[in-house]
Amino acid sequence: MAKDSAPFFSVDALSKHFGGVHAVEDLSFGLARGEIVGLIGPNGSGKTTTINMVTGALKPNSGAILVEDHDMAGAPAHRFAQRGVARTFQVPRLFRRMPVMENLIVPALSDYGERRGSAEERAHGVLQFLKLGHLSGQYARALSGGQQKLLELGRALMLRPQLLLLDEPFAGVHPRLLEQIIDHIKSLNRDGHTIVVVDHNLEAIQSVVTRVMVMARGRKIADGGVAEVLRNPDVVRAYTGTRANR
Amino acid sequence: MMRPSVAQWTQGLLLALALLLPLVSGPYWIHVGAIAWYYALLAASWALLAGYAGQFSFAHVAFAALGGYASALCIELLAFPLPLAILTAVLLAAVVGALIGALVLRLSGPYLALFTLAISEIFRLVLVAEEDITRGMQGLSVPSLFSGNSDVPYYYLGLGLVVLAVGAMNGLLATRVGLFLRAIREDEGAARASGVDTTRYKILVFVVTSVIAAIAGIYYGHFIGILTPNMAILPEMGLVIAMAVIGGIESLPGSVIGAVVVFLLSESLRSYGEWRFVLMGLVLILVQRFAQNGLFPMLEQLGHRRKEPLPAVSAMEEPRGG
Repeated sequence: MAKDSAPFFSVDALSKHFGGVHAVEDLSFGLARGEIVGLIGPNGSGKTTTINMVTGALKPNSGAILVEDHDMAGAPAHRFAQRGVARTFQVPRLFRRMPVMENLIVPALSDYGERRGSAEERAHGVLQFLKLGHLSGQYARALSGGQQKLLELGRALMLRPQLLLLDEPFAGVHPRLLEQIIDHIKSLNRDGHTIVVVDHNLEAIQSVVTRVMVMARGRKIADGGVAEVLRNPDVVRAYTGTRANR
Repeated sequence: MMRPSVAQWTQGLLLALALLLPLVSGPYWIHVGAIAWYYALLAASWALLAGYAGQFSFAHVAFAALGGYASALCIELLAFPLPLAILTAVLLAAVVGALIGALVLRLSGPYLALFTLAISEIFRLVLVAEEDITRGMQGLSVPSLFSGNSDVPYYYLGLGLVVLAVGAMNGLLATRVGLFLRAIREDEGAARASGVDTTRYKILVFVVTSVIAAIAGIYYGHFIGILTPNMAILPEMGLVIAMAVIGGIESLPGSVIGAVVVFLLSESLRSYGEWRFVLMGLVLILVQRFAQNGLFPMLEQLGHRRKEPLPAVSAMEEPRGG
């Protein structure tokens, strides 16, 4: 299993405070290449704050974020993206008044390494993979909610990500689309992508990840194989009453 | 070879008309036309700043004043030769543009609008107060660029500047920079997460548009021969916004056409006094109601008979949370 290999991405003693609120406290974990990890926890446990910090959207108060041994804590978000740390958002944040194709080529062109023609070719491939090929000329805001989630995933893939962080990919999607998203995530992982999935939907998470980390009140309270972690009494306690929210 | 679009035909036709106007028109309309080019430069560059990049700045006319005053003062106080004075004014606008761009990096929507409005008013009040240098409300005289009394050379200079500026801005928009600016307008956080260095492009767009506004101000100052702080009052900014919105805030040629139409309309209705501004307001309301993207893009759409209309302009639309 990938867990045995050395992590290419790790965070060490990461903390973020908002005034007196300790949103994330002393968080450490590592990810090996090809791993697929779930990050779960009740509302307000610090999951999204963690995603925001490890993608540069928020500056941590302390701690290190190592991408291939390079500490990127506090670097701006575009630097993380250019290093292949890609993300999606809880509510899709697309370039709504731009066509689907343009949404996809923005990340491809952002580090000046790729020409427009090759970016568009790659974007067509991504659209085929996501079964959105027929929508390339549509404006992003004309897409359904589920299609917007898929397009956002596609936009993240255009960064040729080393690490893909998916923030609530299963939230608010139609059951048929849920299966499709799960299939896409599994397929991306089979292709070698390292993926972190943040969600409340434990059933969906369990069907895709091999390892799960649990946060509660800003701290990591468990980390390991899915079955083992879900039996952990601390996790059960933290989750009591919240599973109904999924 | 690709066939020219309706928009290109219209632009070509209007450019030909603009070139021919001085041959068929009297001095009054040539004078009016030459001033219209000043507004066209402002409206088109503001359309790039607000329509494309989503930076709803109210300091644009202040940059025109900065350019005009800097050029004039370089000549009067420092005895610079004219080309050096103009170059200095343009460089100053670029530096101040970069500074403002950097200051407003974290501001958007109404906060950006209020901040730039405050900066613009502070600058105008300094122009009023520093009478010893700027001559305050008496006005600062500015030397002419051309000898003789004809406005025709200014008319063609203004037209040339508009064509150059719109060409240069359209050139910029055709590159990946244009794509990034629109992505920033749509959702800055998502653009950053997509690898776009938003700081760099936001400052760049402030520099480019501030320089064009300053060039407009320099042209205007040397043409009219006198500058007053009134060129930076809020109604002037409102007029530039109305021109861009009526013509098409996301179309540079559209905003030029908007500027010319609004200014010519305003001049031809001069005898109605303040009522002409009421009419302008009504035109603005009607355009916002029936052609939210502006008149020129509406014309373009009719020509294309697009199946799906362009989504409506929403420069002030709040980004959705996530």
